[in-house]
Amino acid sequence: MEHEKGDLVVEFTKIFSQTEVERVHEASLEILENVGMLVRNQKALEIFAQNGCIVDTETMMVKFPREVVEKARETFVPTYTFTAQDPKFDITMPGDRPVVVTGSSAPNIIDPKTGEERRATSDDIANIAYLINELPGFDVFSISTLADDAPEGQFSLSRFYPALKNCKKPVRSNTPNMEDLKAVLELGYLIAGGEEEYRRRPFINHHYCPVVSPLTFDVESTEAVIYLIEEGLPVYGTIVPNAGMTSPLSLMGTLTLGNAEFLGLATLTQMIRPGAPMIYAVLSTVADMRTGAYAPGAIETGMLQMAHTEMARFYNVPSGGYIGLTNAHTNDAQSGYETGMNTTGALLAGADLFNMGGLLGSLMAFDFGKAVIDNEIALMLKRIKKGYEYSEENLCLDLIAKVGPGGSYMDADHTMKNMRTIAVLPKVATREMRRRWEDQGKPDAHARAMKEADKILSKPNKSRFSEELDAKIREQFKGLVAGDAKWSL
Amino acid sequence: MSVQDIYDAIVEFSVDKVVSLVDAEVKSGTDVSEILSKGLIAAMDEVGQRYSEGEFFVPEMLMAAKAMKGGLEVLKPLLSQGDSERKGTIIIGTVKGDLHDIGKNLVSMMMEGAGFEVYDLGVDVDTDKFIANAKEKKADIICMSALLTTTMPFMEVTVKAIREQGLSIKTMVGGAPVSEDFANKIGADGWSTDAPGAVETARRLTSK
Repeated sequence: MEHEKGDLVVEFTKIFSQTEVERVHEASLEILENVGMLVRNQKALEIFAQNGCIVDTETMMVKFPREVVEKARETFVPTYTFTAQDPKFDITMPGDRPVVVTGSSAPNIIDPKTGEERRATSDDIANIAYLINELPGFDVFSISTLADDAPEGQFSLSRFYPALKNCKKPVRSNTPNMEDLKAVLELGYLIAGGEEEYRRRPFINHHYCPVVSPLTFDVESTEAVIYLIEEGLPVYGTIVPNAGMTSPLSLMGTLTLGNAEFLGLATLTQMIRPGAPMIYAVLSTVADMRTGAYAPGAIETGMLQMAHTEMARFYNVPSGGYIGLTNAHTNDAQSGYETGMNTTGALLAGADLFNMGGLLGSLMAFDFGKAVIDNEIALMLKRIKKGYEYSEENLCLDLIAKVGPGGSYMDADHTMKNMRTIAVLPKVATREMRRRWEDQGKPDAHARAMKEADKILSKPNKSRFSEELDAKIREQFKGLVAGDAKWSL
Repeated sequence: MSVQDIYDAIVEFSVDKVVSLVDAEVKSGTDVSEILSKGLIAAMDEVGQRYSEGEFFVPEMLMAAKAMKGGLEVLKPLLSQGDSERKGTIIIGTVKGDLHDIGKNLVSMMMEGAGFEVYDLGVDVDTDKFIANAKEKKADIICMSALLTTTMPFMEVTVKAIREQGLSIKTMVGGAPVSEDFANKIGADGWSTDAPGAVETARRLTSK
């Protein structure tokens, strides 16, 4: 892969030799060819049958001859673009890596006033959308929560409307059925000023988990994925094996099964529309076998992401996934080290996409403080990516000679020029002396993060829909939620 | 050879041993309901207890439930109507749109282990199917499972339909994203965070 000079990650962390990478690929082909996949979606079965797979319509079992998978590989493309309502926020992988995304579809939120967990609403989504629009570390807003106040028949509209109304960055999420998907697209057409206009810049970025491990395509998500690929609209899937539960309890076994599942989905994708962009996205985890608990914050999640990313590089497709999640229920040390360690590992291994922001309790609840802290972690990851900027000029030999031994660099023009850009200037991390910190009331990271959220959300959102557009949308979708950011602590 | 051996074999997850032990115990003339309550069900209570204390891991609970089920199969034809109906009948499945069934399978096993009559409808079960089966089997409880947050609303649809049809069937909900608040909000009669807890809840709901 190409690198800019000075990019810190000149050579990505490698776990496997080339022979071992090829063996994982071969083993995945063996799984697809001999074990096959259970395909519960009728259209998918037909597509597989028409394109050389061995399909048993009774049992819904599909076997993939290796040449079918290898043929699909020929049309893989190396880039994936997230389109935004405002073109300045368009972002393409791998060039713009790391692409940082919020975690999505949590049912709950930590109430910013009371600190208690409750069901999330469309008003919360509006506030979160506005916050993510303003936080520079985030590139894509994946709709963080569900909307408990959704009127009947508007489950998805009650999420996408407040999101799109308050965030001009690429918006990403899923829908539970075709009816909801079409309503959401309808909303997109209205915002774009027509279907044709929308299709030129499709700023709703769809995401599903059509593969249920082990080796099964579901009905509804697969239907949506097929439809969107056929229509040429942006969509990608995440592969989610859980070692000990839905995949073997070894990192190698889970990597290989997950890789086979990615190839299964990728083959379907390329059969429908050769050259359709994809992301090799995963949330491969190891279950906590003491209780069966889901453990996306565990270090093994990062290790698995690193290996999947190495496989993605072999296929030359962008990679990433839900990496940097936490099992912690509050913004404590666990929350920080789980997000920090796993994302750093993934970045060094070359991952492009990081679904990491704002969620606590393994995807169960959004927290404003966590989102602000994750923004800061994102800025640190981007700093690592930016690297050393190697150049003769940056060696500063003239300057070192000029200042000489015993002098100071404080008043050098060079320092003045670089002081706002060379280091991440954190808003959450403290660098105060202890006494001053005590005088401020000993605020911890969460308290400082909430102050930042308050600072942003106390001001009115300038990026929201125009009154005219909003009236048009509300005319089309009667009874729609208000979808406005409203904030008071 | 005794009922205690059956109990021990379950706690040691010896599937094959349980079947032969139950078989031998029946042939030696021990009361079938004693084998059931003091051998099989008591052992599963012990397993649930050890799991709650962190001694047993999930796969061990699953293996014990399988061992118990093996023994139960031997007893089933011999149990009188009263024995099998005593605990109650349960309909279980994952809700429409959701294929994630590991938690549901575990609950299903543990329910059987506790002596309930369990009808597992599998995955992607819609409201009509839940209710039709519950009516047919005269079920006491419909248990619904979801892993995806986006499929949770189907639980409410089913609970509402049961109420609207004026049926006296109780409902239980479970799965990673399901909380007590959610269960209360949609009007479900019970919920649980794990399989042993689901058994406790089902016992509470069926106790007269």
